[in-house]
Amino acid sequence: MTARFSLAPAAGALSDAWSELRVHKLRVLLSLIGIAVAVGALTAVVALGELQRQVMAEQSDRYGGRIATIMVGATRDDGAPMNWDAMDARFERVAERYNFSRTSRIVDGAVTVPVQLTEGVTQLPSRLVDPDYAAMHRLTLLEGRWFVDEDTDLLAPPVVISEALWDMIGRVPVAQHPTLTMTGDLAGSYQVVGVTPRDGPWDTTPRVDLMYDTYRERLGAIPSDVAVMREIWVPPTIVDELGPVLAMDLRAGAEPGLTITVNRTDWGAQAGFADSALIFQLVTGAIAGIVLLLGALSLINIQLVAMRQRIREIGVRRSFGATSGRIFTSVFLESVVATTVAGTVGIVLVVLVMRSDWVVELMFPGIQDVPPFPFAAAITGLIASVIVGAIAGLIPALVALRVKVIDAIRF
Amino acid sequence: MTLVSLRGVAKQVLLPDDSRLDILHAVDLDVDAGDHVSIVGRSGSGKTTLLNILGLLDSPSAGDVWFGDESTLTMRAGRLDRMRGANVGFVFQQFNLLAGRTALENVAMPLSYASGASFWKRDALAAAMLDRVGLSHRMSSLPDRLSGGEQQRVAIARALVRNPRLILADEPTGALDVETGASVMSLLDEVAAESGAALVTITHDLHVAARARRHYRLDTGVLQPVDLDHAFAASTHAEPAATAIESGAPE
Repeated sequence: MTARFSLAPAAGALSDAWSELRVHKLRVLLSLIGIAVAVGALTAVVALGELQRQVMAEQSDRYGGRIATIMVGATRDDGAPMNWDAMDARFERVAERYNFSRTSRIVDGAVTVPVQLTEGVTQLPSRLVDPDYAAMHRLTLLEGRWFVDEDTDLLAPPVVISEALWDMIGRVPVAQHPTLTMTGDLAGSYQVVGVTPRDGPWDTTPRVDLMYDTYRERLGAIPSDVAVMREIWVPPTIVDELGPVLAMDLRAGAEPGLTITVNRTDWGAQAGFADSALIFQLVTGAIAGIVLLLGALSLINIQLVAMRQRIREIGVRRSFGATSGRIFTSVFLESVVATTVAGTVGIVLVVLVMRSDWVVELMFPGIQDVPPFPFAAAITGLIASVIVGAIAGLIPALVALRVKVIDAIRF
Repeated sequence: MTLVSLRGVAKQVLLPDDSRLDILHAVDLDVDAGDHVSIVGRSGSGKTTLLNILGLLDSPSAGDVWFGDESTLTMRAGRLDRMRGANVGFVFQQFNLLAGRTALENVAMPLSYASGASFWKRDALAAAMLDRVGLSHRMSSLPDRLSGGEQQRVAIARALVRNPRLILADEPTGALDVETGASVMSLLDEVAAESGAALVTITHDLHVAARARRHYRLDTGVLQPVDLDHAFAASTHAEPAATAIESGAPE
């Protein structure tokens, strides 16, 4: 019974607010469309910001590797030829202790391969990699598959070619086992197992991706003048501690003249990336904020006009025992309840739209890992709805507080 | 037992030109529990101001208002509001029903400012009150779908739903025809008598005033007892006599 006593004023104020909204459905509906749109826009902006960040992250992953990627390089500054096999052995020896899940050697841009095309033998740029490269760089294929460890056992070594090169060989479906013929040291027939898509319309480079080991076996060794990098994918939580320790281990006992570099190359290490994502979110957030402010102003306006018509009602309620605090709370809650309902509607609509694969694909073509709808966006929208309701409710509630009962019931 | 007591109550207001307007002069009035008082007076004589002070809606410029055994002079606004809600019921000339709310919601409205069982059972209590005033078949009707008499009956139900000790009726028949007004007043008398509440009626209508046990006339802010028989006698003759009360003719 005691609880009932204490609950009555709060329950009564909420009930009054809801009743007012119910009675003035049309006015409330009209004034709240703007709020629903504004809150929806704000939620969408936050969610789009997340998606945009994901797209930017994925694009960056393709170049610098996923978070967190460590790149190990080696050079000689004494003019002696670089022995990449010795470097591999050194790395494998050290790596045993670390149990890395994914690593890949990379030679990118420094190697060309002679390919027999219809117009003759052509030197095409090539990329030498290990199978883990695809996962570490979010590589997707237009057709076929990427390299797997067992590919080194195949008699016809596999290659993955770029879409531009695929066009040059007549876009023969991978299922029909197209092959490339190379000459020179690499002479032989290579099975095309996959095709990488163009980065965009500008991407017209005919490129051949070969497994590092395939190239090495055909040539006997990697030429000493080629720069071989080794990328390691490590958990972001330990990358900062791991880097210096790994560098120390790799350098331990290194012969004079051999310089080993260990760097982090993923976008997470680039301060500029975070800045650009933040700027995007700030700009779009500011626009949504302005929309929300306009919605709030329109709501205040409508509430104030409505308040003129409600002065008599307030007077009647006051004469039947409503305290000024109760009137203030009811009018204030009216706005808060209304904008919260409107905001929730806006948020639900945005969630429904943004969860549609079709919409996400249309806005962010090529995105791989569509993040779940950010909870933070929904919460931001909800908090914004409540704040707008509170701001829009405060002014009419203050007006209601100033109503003089004896004038109001004569009004 | 005295329910409300006005002691030397005066009311002045400041006009826009900084001059003072005296509305009430040293008004003394005692209203006992179960009493029925009528106050007549011409327009602008201060009747509504007096009613507002009696109903704790307005405060006097001088003098004191006692409600029960408590002076309201130093009471805080919130306490006055709660005291008014629990003890006073208003019936207005223009009904003042809340637009867009059903008859039931209008009658339940005062109970939403109550606490305990009165609050949680407000719909049932309001329905019983509407039944008492003969409107159980109109509970879901909106005010604009009710006749003037029905609206005033809803207003009476609203005024009585919290079982107030004092009912203040400001020209309760002012917006009704004679016949409807008479039936509404009979109902008001009846339910007020049933609940033991004191009833103070402000009116121009001598027939309405005559229903009260004690009669007062308010003239230019001065409250005096009046003998309605003289007024009735005068009103049945020539026009000047009909305005006897309004012009403040001697008793």
